[in-house]
Amino acid sequence: MRVEYINPFVESAFNVMREVLNVDVKRGELYLKSTSMPVMGVAAIVGLAGDVEGRVLFDMDRPTALKIASAMNGEDITTMDDLAKATITELANMITAQAVTKLHELGFRFDLTPPAIFTGDNMEVSNQDVEALIVPMETPQGKVEINVAIRERA
Amino acid sequence: MSVQTADKAQPDARDEKKERADKVDFKMVTFSLGGKEYGIDIMNVKEIANASRFTYVPNAAPFVRGVYNLRGDIISIIDLRTMFHLPAERKNDDSLESLLILRIDEHVFGIIVDNIDKVVGVSRAGIQPPHPIFGDINVKYIKGIIENQGKLFIILNVEKLFSLKKESDAPPPVARLAAAFAPQAPAVDQAIVPVTDGNVNADFIMETLFAFRRFGVSAINDAWFRARFEEWSSTRKATDVQLKEPGEADEFLSTFYSPCNGELWSEEYSAAVMAALPPAQSKSVNVWNPGCGKGYETYSLACALRLAYPEARIKIWANDSDLLAISMAANMVFSAENVPEMYRDLMVQGRNGLTFNQTVRDSIFFEFHDVMNSNPVPPVDLILSRDTVSFLSTADQRKLLADFNEKTKLGGAVILGANERLPMDGWNRTGGEPVSVYVKGA
Repeated sequence: MRVEYINPFVESAFNVMREVLNVDVKRGELYLKSTSMPVMGVAAIVGLAGDVEGRVLFDMDRPTALKIASAMNGEDITTMDDLAKATITELANMITAQAVTKLHELGFRFDLTPPAIFTGDNMEVSNQDVEALIVPMETPQGKVEINVAIRERA
Repeated sequence: MSVQTADKAQPDARDEKKERADKVDFKMVTFSLGGKEYGIDIMNVKEIANASRFTYVPNAAPFVRGVYNLRGDIISIIDLRTMFHLPAERKNDDSLESLLILRIDEHVFGIIVDNIDKVVGVSRAGIQPPHPIFGDINVKYIKGIIENQGKLFIILNVEKLFSLKKESDAPPPVARLAAAFAPQAPAVDQAIVPVTDGNVNADFIMETLFAFRRFGVSAINDAWFRARFEEWSSTRKATDVQLKEPGEADEFLSTFYSPCNGELWSEEYSAAVMAALPPAQSKSVNVWNPGCGKGYETYSLACALRLAYPEARIKIWANDSDLLAISMAANMVFSAENVPEMYRDLMVQGRNGLTFNQTVRDSIFFEFHDVMNSNPVPPVDLILSRDTVSFLSTADQRKLLADFNEKTKLGGAVILGANERLPMDGWNRTGGEPVSVYVKGA
């Protein structure tokens, strides 16, 4: 993944989460991964197209998703209902959009697909031939992993 | 008695052979590409045409020349020569290219070839399987070889070449054959095994080097290691030979590194590298630079190539798994006293010091990437990997060198570190000390 892409994603994830949750967010160590990886339970995915191809996956476990949805809506949400799903989707959308805006300012043209959300137990994402950058975020609500896989179009 | 039977048998065999050759059950359209003869099954060929002025499609693969309006149908045009990395003369926009219009399943598209010859009828039984060490074209795209009127034709498997489906996981029979015969792969396997030595001290140093600095001693750097070990043990007391801490490992490795490590290449070194490289094969030079670190060598090579081939389109994929180092690389700033004269023309004065100009920077992609994951670089003319392969475990070295072999075009080159050797068949070393360059032979 091009180094120019890394910072916009890290920064916007950090900024947006801190803003919408109104809490202190800690960023973990970045690393690369290419093997299939388990999804914690709730995964929002946003596709990227344009100069590049790829996707951004926001991965968290169910309690974290519910707590984040509760914090963002200012009410207590206890089941993974439509509102909770829409909230997590929106969070994914906000972070990706802000990153893409930053990249646009740097001269990279990216388009977004509408976000989609997956929930379930024992899920696994595998696209073996794509290397993903993992940005772990620690919030008081729990851990959110942002998994960015982008490659240049050949 | 025995003489008679032999007499009888011989004409029989000849008849049979003749009969086989006579029976025409396979027709192919023949054409030439880069001076060699090829054939495509006529059942896949819809028509033959001459055309020019293809409409360029942005962001398409390099071998796609564009689209063309064939009597109202828009078809894509693929340049087979670019696809197979064969030399292609660039005609000007108006002159006509020879096109074969192919139909595979429902898809119609055109391929550009050098010259279309004629339709040849042959017998299917005479087609021989391709030999796995076939040169220019990946063996899995070759259906077979046939001889006709003294000429050998390579029959392309267009279904496989242009099929839209992903290849299934099981390799096709031909590829399996290729794997069995491929000269390089087994050679690498044999070459890169952890070297062991009867000498316990040497073995122990190998282990500690890997533990402290992840330096894997193998056929790549064995020559250096042995010489260094001799030197090391002769200058140290017998009780003091072992490496006890990372600092000592660094000291042991201090003679390993290539010249101009962690700085821009000096003019002499840059000239030595360029002298060892084969001349550029085309107007576009693709380079892969795994383990580029802070990017000094990447910029140095980019400049050397830019100065040597001012007209060429240079593209360098530089990657490293050290996030901190690679993040700095894209926006590196130099102070004037550290920059050799030859780079000055390619630099601009910025707020904090000198930086390389936009042309140079645009030619380099710095990527945060681990070479042990799949390497998505296209086929390259040049691989720059100084003192990188040695710092991997022997299993990883084997995998990376296999990738080098796969990604380098024929006639392309690999630049290794000064004390590294490429233990693979089919590669020829060029250039003298301190430059270690290997050219992939035909």
